[in-house]
Amino acid sequence: MQFRVITRFIAILVFFLGISMGGPLLVALIYEDSSTHALLFSMLITSVAGIFLFLCAKKPDNPHLNHRDGVFVVTLGWIMAGLFGTLPYLLSGTIPNFTNAYFESISGFTTTGASILTDIDNLPKGILLWRSQTQWLGGMGIIVLSIAVLPFLGIGGMQLYRAEIPSPVVDKLKPRISETAKTLWKVYILITLVEVLLLFAGGMPLFDSVCHSFCTMPTGGFSTKNASIAHFNSAYFDTVFILFMLFAGINFSLHYKFLKGDVKIFTRNPECRVFLFLLAVLILIVTFDTHSLHGSFTGALRAAAFQVTSILTTTGFVTSDYGKWPALSQQILLGCMFLGGMAGSTGGGMKTMRIMLLIKHGYQEIFRIIHPHAVTTVKIEGKRVPADILSSVWGFFILYIGLFIIATLIMAFLGLDMKTAIGSVAASIGNIGPGFGMVGPAKNYLSIPLFGKWILIFCMLLGRLEIYTVIVFLVPEFWRK
Amino acid sequence: MKIIIVGAGEVGFHIAQRLSEESQDVVLIDKDPAQIKRINENLDVQAFLGSGTSPSLLKDSGIETADMLVAATDSDEVNLIACLLARNLNQYMLKVARVRNQEFLEEKDLLNQQSLDIDRIINPQSLMVENILNLMEIPGASEVINFVDGRVKLVGFTIKKNSPFIDRQLLSFKDLEEKLLVGAIVRDNKVMIPRGSDTIQMDDLVYVVARNDELNNMLRLFEIREETLRRVIIIGAGQTGTALAKALDKSKINAKIIDTDSQRCADLSEQLEHVIVINGDGGDKSLLKEENIADVDFMVAITGDEENNILISLLAKGLGAKRTITRVSKLSYIPLVSAIGIDTVVSPRLSAVRAILQYIRRGKVISVAPLKGEQAEAIEAEALETSDIVNSPLSKVKFPKGAIVGAIVRGEDIIIPRGDSVIMPKDRLIIFALEKVIPKLEKLLTVKLEYF
Repeated sequence: MQFRVITRFIAILVFFLGISMGGPLLVALIYEDSSTHALLFSMLITSVAGIFLFLCAKKPDNPHLNHRDGVFVVTLGWIMAGLFGTLPYLLSGTIPNFTNAYFESISGFTTTGASILTDIDNLPKGILLWRSQTQWLGGMGIIVLSIAVLPFLGIGGMQLYRAEIPSPVVDKLKPRISETAKTLWKVYILITLVEVLLLFAGGMPLFDSVCHSFCTMPTGGFSTKNASIAHFNSAYFDTVFILFMLFAGINFSLHYKFLKGDVKIFTRNPECRVFLFLLAVLILIVTFDTHSLHGSFTGALRAAAFQVTSILTTTGFVTSDYGKWPALSQQILLGCMFLGGMAGSTGGGMKTMRIMLLIKHGYQEIFRIIHPHAVTTVKIEGKRVPADILSSVWGFFILYIGLFIIATLIMAFLGLDMKTAIGSVAASIGNIGPGFGMVGPAKNYLSIPLFGKWILIFCMLLGRLEIYTVIVFLVPEFWRK
Repeated sequence: MKIIIVGAGEVGFHIAQRLSEESQDVVLIDKDPAQIKRINENLDVQAFLGSGTSPSLLKDSGIETADMLVAATDSDEVNLIACLLARNLNQYMLKVARVRNQEFLEEKDLLNQQSLDIDRIINPQSLMVENILNLMEIPGASEVINFVDGRVKLVGFTIKKNSPFIDRQLLSFKDLEEKLLVGAIVRDNKVMIPRGSDTIQMDDLVYVVARNDELNNMLRLFEIREETLRRVIIIGAGQTGTALAKALDKSKINAKIIDTDSQRCADLSEQLEHVIVINGDGGDKSLLKEENIADVDFMVAITGDEENNILISLLAKGLGAKRTITRVSKLSYIPLVSAIGIDTVVSPRLSAVRAILQYIRRGKVISVAPLKGEQAEAIEAEALETSDIVNSPLSKVKFPKGAIVGAIVRGEDIIIPRGDSVIMPKDRLIIFALEKVIPKLEKLLTVKLEYF
C-alpha cells in the first residue's frame, strides 16, 4: 500500500469538502441564521485539516494507485467525508450527539436520506443546505468529482472510478477517465439546474427548490420539511419530482447520449426498457391495491406513482404514509428497495442490470436441464456477458442478501420488532431512507439503539459503494503484504 | 489530439501507455477480451472490444473526430484494411500502419495517395536491421542513433572502471566544449539530464552527442576501442536474419549465419555470395567453437525465440565473443538483460514504438528516439520562427528542467551549444528531455504557432 499517495488524496478530498462548506455558509450569512459561526468554523477546521494532512505526507515516489490502493482510498474517503460532514451539525448544536451526527452525515453522503432529526422545519437554513449538499456531492460521487477536478490521477483514476461507480461493468464515455468524470458531472449539474428552474417556476421558494433538487438527482430523499413532499400537496410538484426521480434512476451515460442527439436511446437500451416496464407495472398494481384507500382512481395513481418511483429509484421522498397501505403494496415497496435503479445511475439497491443478468443466467441453467448439450450464452444487447462478470454479480447478490440477513438479525437482537428490523436494514443498505414500522415514512431513526445506528451506518456505506469496496477490508487477505 | 490504435499487442499497448501519460485522448481496439481487460486495468484510455476491420466499430470509436489511426496489430492485412477503412470514414486523418511483409512494401503504388494513402509505414524488421548495422559501426557503443541523416550521432556507452572521466564534473570538459555534449546519464536504471555540476561515475550509461567527423576523436577519448569490424556471426535465419545477412553480403565483413532449418539454409545459400551459411544449432557449444566464436567482433542472436537468444548470447560471451546483440521482443525483459551481462538489445517492438512515436509528435518534430526504457527521449525538432526559444542565448531561454539542447544544426554547420549559443529560426535542434517534461517542451517548441 502506498500510504503517501493515499494520505495526499484523502487530504485533498477533505480540503475540497471544507471549501464546499462555503455555499451553506453564504446562505447562512444571507438569511442571518444561527448556524453562521458553526459553518465558518467547520469550513476552517476541515480545510485546515486537509492542508495539514497534505503537508504530513511526503511527496510520493510513485503517484500511481493500484487496485488495492484505489479501493482503500475510496472507502477511507467516504468515511472521512462523513466524519468532517458532522462538524456543522455538532458545532451548531443541531445534533449534539456524535453518533446521531455521523448517522445524519453518512445518510447524506450515501444518499440514503434516513434522518434522526425530529424538527426539520425550524433548522437554520445553512444547516439545511449543508444537509442537502452532502447528498448532492455523494450522489454522483465525491471520488468521481475528484477525478474530474484533479488533473494528476491518470491511471489511478480508473481504479478509483471503478470502486465508486455503482455498476457491474464500467464503461467510459470518453477516452480519458477525467473527461468521463467531467462529462458525468456536467450532465448531473445540468439536470439539477433544470429541476431547480421547474420547481421555482411552480412557486416553490428558491431555497427549497435548490435543496430539493440537490436531494432528487442523487436519489437522496432529504427534505427541508418534516412532512417531506407531502408538505407542498401539489400535483405539479409531485409530477416534477416523479419525473426527476425517474431521471436520477436512469444510467447517466444514457442521459449523455440522449443530450448528444441519440433520442431513442431510452427505448433502445434493454436495461432501461426493463426498468421502465417494471416501474409501470408496479405502479399499476399498487394503484389498484390502494384504490379504496384514496377514494378515487387518480388520487391512488398519483400517490402510487410517486411512492413507487421514489422507492424504486431509492430516493425516499414521501407524499403518503405507505405504512398504512395494504400488505401487498407494502411488500411491493419492500421489493423495490432491493431492486433499485439502473446501473450507472445515482440510485441504490441491487440495480436492474444485475437482476436482469441473474434472471437470464437462471433461465439458462433451466434451459440446460432440457438440452444438456446446448451451448448457451447470457446476452445483453446482442453481446455476450463474460463469465467473470456473471460470477461477480452472483457474488454481489449472495453478499447483499447475506449481509442483509445478518444485519436484520442484529437489529432484532437489539430489541426491534421484525418489521422495523427488516425495514430499517433494507432501507439503509438500499440507500432509500424511510423504511417500515418504527422507521416508517411518518417516523424517523432517532429511536434506534446506539449500536443499531452504527450497524445501519455500515449498511449505508455497503450499499453506496456496492458491497465489495467496503467488505474487502474485513478480509484478512487484504492486509497481507 | 485523439488517436485510435488498432491492436493492443505489445506495440499498441506501449504506444497507448505513452500517449495517455502525455494526456492525449487514446482509443484502443482489440479483439481479445483478455487484452481489453488488461487495458482497462492499467491504462487511462478507452478500450473497445472487436475487430479493427469493422466499420461500425471504428465509427463507434469516434473515427470521424480522430486525428490519427495507428494500425499496429500483428497482421499486415488487418492493418492495411483498417487504414483503408479509416481513409473512407475520415479522409483528413493521418494513418500509420505496421507492415512486416516485404512484398507489400515493394509494391509502392499500393501505399501511395491514390490507393491506400498511408502516411507512414512502419516495418519493424527493416528498422531493426538498420539499428543493428548502426551498432556494428561503433562496436563499443550499446546504442547508436542517427540524427540529421547521420551527420549527428547519439552514442550511448557504459563508463568502464579505469576511465579518466570518472568523478570529473561535466564543467571541467572545457577543451571538449563545442565538440561533444553529454545529453543524458543513466545511473541505477534512472535517467537524468545532467547539468554542469554533475559528475560521471563508473558503470554509468552516458549518451553523448557528437558530430560525425568528431566521432573518432570522441571514441578515442572515452577509450572505446575503435577497430574495424571483421567477423560477425548471425544466429537465426528468419526474416530479420536473412535481411541482415543480405546487407552484410555486400560488404567486406566476414559473416556467417547459423540456422537449424536445413531447407532454409539451402535457400539462403542460394541467395548469398560471401556470407557462409551453416546448418546447426546456435546453442551448440562445439559448433560455436568450431566457427571460432572467440574471434568474432559481433555475435547477433536473432532467432524468433527470445529466451533462446538471451541464452545463446550468454554462451557466446562465455566463449569469448567480443560483443553480442540480442533480439528480445518482450519489452519487460529489456532492463533485465543488461543486468545479466548482455551488451546490446534490439527489439522489433521497441523499434516500432519508436518509429510510431516519432510520427505522432506534434509541431515540427522530425524524429524521436526513446532512451533507456523510455524514461527520456532524444528529439530532433525544427526551431520555428515563432517559438520562444529562438533569437536569445540558451542560458536565457526558459527551458523546462530536465531538458537540454544537445546540438544545433544550421544548414551545413553543426553546433554543439554552450550557454551563450543562440538558436536561429529554421535551425534543427536535438533535444534531450525526460519523459515528464515532454508535453511542456512540445508546447515550448510550438506554442506560438497556435496563434496563427
